[in-house]
Amino acid sequence: MPDLTPLTALGHDQPQSVTYGNLTMGDCPDLALASLTLRRDAPVPLPFGLDLPGPGGYVASAEVAAIWTGPRQWMIEAKAKGCTDFAAQVKAQAPDAIVTEQTDGWAAFDITSPDGAAIGRLLEKLVNIDPGTVSPGTASRTSLHHMNVLLVRPDPCCLRIWVGRSFAGSLWHAVIGAAARQAA
Amino acid sequence: MLIPHPLLGLRDAEEFVYLGDASLMQRPDPDSPTALTDFCDYVFLRDNPAGVHRELWFHEQGDRSWLVVTRNTLTHEILGAELATDAARPTVTQEPSA
Amino acid sequence: MTRITGGLIDRGTSLSFTFDGKTYSGHPGDTLASALLANGVRLMGRSFKYHRPRGVFAAGSEEPNAMVELREGARREPNTRATVAELYEGLVAKSQNRVGPLSCDVLAVNDVLSPFFAAGFYYKTFMWPRAFWEKLYEPVIRRAAGLGQLSMQADPDDYDSGFLHCDLLVIGGGAAGLAAALTAGRAGARVLLADEDFRLGGRLLSERDPLGGIPAVDWIAGLEAELDSLPNVRILRRTTVFGAYDHGIYGAVERVADHLKTPGAQVRQSLWRITAKRTVLAAGATERHIPFADNDRPGIMLAGAMRSYANRWAVTPQAHAADPVAIFTNNDDGHRTALDLMAQDVPVLGVIDTRSDAPKLGDYTLFPDATVTGSKGRLGLTQIQITRAGQSTWVDCAALGVSGGWNPNVHLTSHHRGRLVWDAATQSFLPGPGGPEGMHVAGAAAGRGQTGLALADGAKAAVAALAQIGMSASLPELPAPEATADILTLYWHVPSKKRAWVDFQNDVTVKDIALAHQENMRPVEHLKRWTTLGMATDQGKTANVTALAVMAELSGKSIPETGTTIFRPPYTGVAISTLGGGDSGDSFRPRRLTPTHSWAAARGAVFTEVGAWMRAQYYPQTGETHWRQTVDREAKAVRAGVGLCDVTTLGKIDVQGADATTFLNRVYANMMGTLKVGRVRYGLMLREDGFLYDDGTCARLAEDHYVVTTTTGNAGLVYRNLEFARQCMWPELDVHLISTTDAWAQLAVAGPNARSLLSRIVDDFDLSNDAFPFMACSTLTICNGLRARLFRISFSGELAYELAVPARYGNAVMQRLAEQGADLGVTPYGIEALSVLRIEKGHAAGAELNGQTTADMIGLGMMVSRKKDSIGAVMSRRDGLAQDSRRMVGLQPVEPTHTVTPGAHLFAQGDPQDMAHDQGWITSACYSPHVGSSIGLGFLLQGDNRMGEIVIAANPLAGETTQLRIVPSHFVDPEGERLRA
Repeated sequence: MPDLTPLTALGHDQPQSVTYGNLTMGDCPDLALASLTLRRDAPVPLPFGLDLPGPGGYVASAEVAAIWTGPRQWMIEAKAKGCTDFAAQVKAQAPDAIVTEQTDGWAAFDITSPDGAAIGRLLEKLVNIDPGTVSPGTASRTSLHHMNVLLVRPDPCCLRIWVGRSFAGSLWHAVIGAAARQAA
Repeated sequence: MLIPHPLLGLRDAEEFVYLGDASLMQRPDPDSPTALTDFCDYVFLRDNPAGVHRELWFHEQGDRSWLVVTRNTLTHEILGAELATDAARPTVTQEPSA
Repeated sequence: MTRITGGLIDRGTSLSFTFDGKTYSGHPGDTLASALLANGVRLMGRSFKYHRPRGVFAAGSEEPNAMVELREGARREPNTRATVAELYEGLVAKSQNRVGPLSCDVLAVNDVLSPFFAAGFYYKTFMWPRAFWEKLYEPVIRRAAGLGQLSMQADPDDYDSGFLHCDLLVIGGGAAGLAAALTAGRAGARVLLADEDFRLGGRLLSERDPLGGIPAVDWIAGLEAELDSLPNVRILRRTTVFGAYDHGIYGAVERVADHLKTPGAQVRQSLWRITAKRTVLAAGATERHIPFADNDRPGIMLAGAMRSYANRWAVTPQAHAADPVAIFTNNDDGHRTALDLMAQDVPVLGVIDTRSDAPKLGDYTLFPDATVTGSKGRLGLTQIQITRAGQSTWVDCAALGVSGGWNPNVHLTSHHRGRLVWDAATQSFLPGPGGPEGMHVAGAAAGRGQTGLALADGAKAAVAALAQIGMSASLPELPAPEATADILTLYWHVPSKKRAWVDFQNDVTVKDIALAHQENMRPVEHLKRWTTLGMATDQGKTANVTALAVMAELSGKSIPETGTTIFRPPYTGVAISTLGGGDSGDSFRPRRLTPTHSWAAARGAVFTEVGAWMRAQYYPQTGETHWRQTVDREAKAVRAGVGLCDVTTLGKIDVQGADATTFLNRVYANMMGTLKVGRVRYGLMLREDGFLYDDGTCARLAEDHYVVTTTTGNAGLVYRNLEFARQCMWPELDVHLISTTDAWAQLAVAGPNARSLLSRIVDDFDLSNDAFPFMACSTLTICNGLRARLFRISFSGELAYELAVPARYGNAVMQRLAEQGADLGVTPYGIEALSVLRIEKGHAAGAELNGQTTADMIGLGMMVSRKKDSIGAVMSRRDGLAQDSRRMVGLQPVEPTHTVTPGAHLFAQGDPQDMAHDQGWITSACYSPHVGSSIGLGFLLQGDNRMGEIVIAANPLAGETTQLRIVPSHFVDPEGERLRA
């Protein structure tokens, strides 16, 4: 293991967490990400046994998930692998596919609440996507305060926002600001 | 405006970047004897109709697909949208060569 | 006090407020206007041009007169309509557009001078002398003809924006809107009901008629309770839908905390962007007035507004309860106001009706076939003149309600150039063809304003709208009060030699319209601009239709022939703070931080914006008093020892696939197909028109895997263009792109000690020149197993590497390098020093690649391959580009203390300094610690053949000229020995 201390996208050595009302927000540096793209006419692989979803889809198992990001292109997301060479592990699962390391290309933020509707109300202030369509099983890529984001809903009580890592501070500001106002 | 993305359904136009006339997909043959004139036309001449127009939109904040959108520029009525890769393929004659 | 009984106010609670420093009291449920009326205050402001005394004219958002400065300090908000300002404890308001006290405004002299201020006055009078435009005329006019004043302080409140999606948007919460929302809500549709008022009910709140056998307020409360119980219905109170945009998108402002003294933790207002599959517009109607001589005194108001104040707010508009009130009308609705006032024991002196067959609906004096032809009262109405059959009589009258019929609120239907059509049956403009797709208009907005009609109409509109999106709804049982015959005889204005106001807010009178007609400003668009009719903050809601009717009369045309202007958003004014959506200051736009941002901040770096990125500009040390000292030190340290710079911001695009090589050969002007695995090549990209647009490096990591870099500023654009090439031009190629800019922290390690420093952190990697020469690249591990990529490339001209590591480790690796290099003179450098180093080396950057330059011009014409096609290759060979003889050169002042100024233009010695003799310009310049003087880069005609010549750099803006010697653009190591060391 390298003798270096990694920083989170927010510039800390530990993930942050903030609660306003019934909304809790935090960053998830332990999540790993790699893009998987199919070559021309290549068969569709089943990385980690995942049945890669169609347009706008999100498929998850206990440890790994696949997010549709474009025609013949997915992001593979894994828990507790943020500091590993996850791309190599995906490549091993899909040797014929094009795999690119994306763990630090993006930063993930989880917004959790016992009340899924509260997450829906927060979404109204953040993205121009019908909150009703941001449900478990869907992935939406859109713009949030002029930042490109990927939205997934691991479960009704959790919304995950992936954003370009360098934007993490601005995204955090936007999300916790909206949550604070919602709680006001 | 809402753009009917062929894979993702109606998406707000703010997610897209507009380019213009879809004729930009028909890049001239660089080896033609008239290549220079053809490229001049290709680069500088565009149709800008008041009415139905085929135009290119890039889903930059979304799935990064280029779309060919048929839009009435007078009413903003959108008559159709397809992936540029689908629109481009039938007219392509060049084969890849390393 | 003129408070009467009843009303929808909470008399159990008193709210104290001040107006022009005097303290008054009102109740929850009051508006500022109703509370002032209740306290006998009628004079609320001065008019725009003539400074005439003005009071409340309407009871809603159409108000043209009663505008005040609300709140104090930084929250002061000018031009707030008192009729929609909800009363709260401690409210502070001031009258505006006055000099001196409101009752004795010095600028009222303008009223006496009014013959000079007729329509077109400004256009005609202030033409000359030209020098007076900005210095005299404009300041004086702005002071005299103004509205309220801004606080000139930053808005202290928070705002936000959001997005709503629904099946049916119902605009307006009156009878039609409530029925539409109920119908759609019961059908399970997702409904948004937006109403600008703080209480649902619309016009129903202003009437005394029961609904379904119970008071209308109770009926509304029951319906509201049902709507609130439906999870698929959302009610947006205090929300104005201000604009209709394409494809069912609407803009709306929710006044979240305007009714509170301060918003606290809430936002003041929210901007909503609503995407609705279908819409029911139930925006109601606005009453017309009938212009007559001196019709603008406080106390004269719309009859419907008078009824609203009496029924909803329990106030009457006279200063004293015993003062008589009159109604002037051309329709039956005016009579209803008289009846409602009488029911509250308000003394009604009579109803003056323009119709000869006017009905008498109650026990009041009727003046049929009569008009009001004048008014008296310096600061408020005291008398009116009633004229009948040529006989005029002055009678005491403290308040006059005027009713000229109702104009449907069709504004949103014409936001897409939907045409209005004149409807003879209702004598009004109704929505015509070409309205927004999916919008159904119901109730008074569609000319069906009577309660029973409106209720039924709203429900029907909802059923029809939902049917279009495949949802079925059934008509609910609704009260059906009997419709009354409402006969309106058109009567637009009472002719007079005196002024009769049409547009109160902009002080436009019937005479002004006549003058516009006389001066041939007859089309409505010309009329509007010549007279400024309808151009005030109220957008002429109470004026426009009347004005064009007057113009029609004057020109002998019909109203439809005269036509209307087109309504445009916003329906009512929207604050800039709200449109800004809340993002201001540091969060005005997103900022991107580099992986080493914390490290740089801890070292005291000064940051600068480069696109969205915050980059370290320089790292000042103790004792350095000027940025140049810092930058010189940093640049020297790189050339003498080793420097560290975060270059993560350069765009990185992963290019993979069987046809990746073919693809890159087509998008780069130079040959990429021959690049070997493990090597990097500099690449030029052209636009299809042959000009340069970006440069960067292309590294081949594996047979079918490349990493392309772009300039910081063009990263997004290059990616978009590469996707265009891939998807639109060559979809047959098997090539795939993905951005990895943020994934890797990329650190430049530059200087003669770079290899020594790197050797201390790599794990078993041979950095020798033979094993890893200039332009090599490799993957490797560092610091005991961290995966990394190393590129031997140089922007500074020194022995240099760029080291890429997963971004989360960037900060730690930077710190490690800084620690490990202490004995090697390691120095962090910012983009100022980076720029000095690249100018010294003659590397082109953004200032040279400005979209107007060619590969030839930067001396790299040979790179544009003729052996293959690439984007821009054909056009780069056209005459205009190929024959351009300007070349990039280095420039050094003849007198070493002189400065090279970027932007200065270059002339041959002795030539006149004009366009015809312009030979080029300076693109970049800096002080070069290596050279010991200011140096620059520039483009010069035949520059490559003029080495040693002296030219003149002219900076006409500063009146400076400098002699510069033309030198090769490589000020440092022209043979490139250092970077290959």
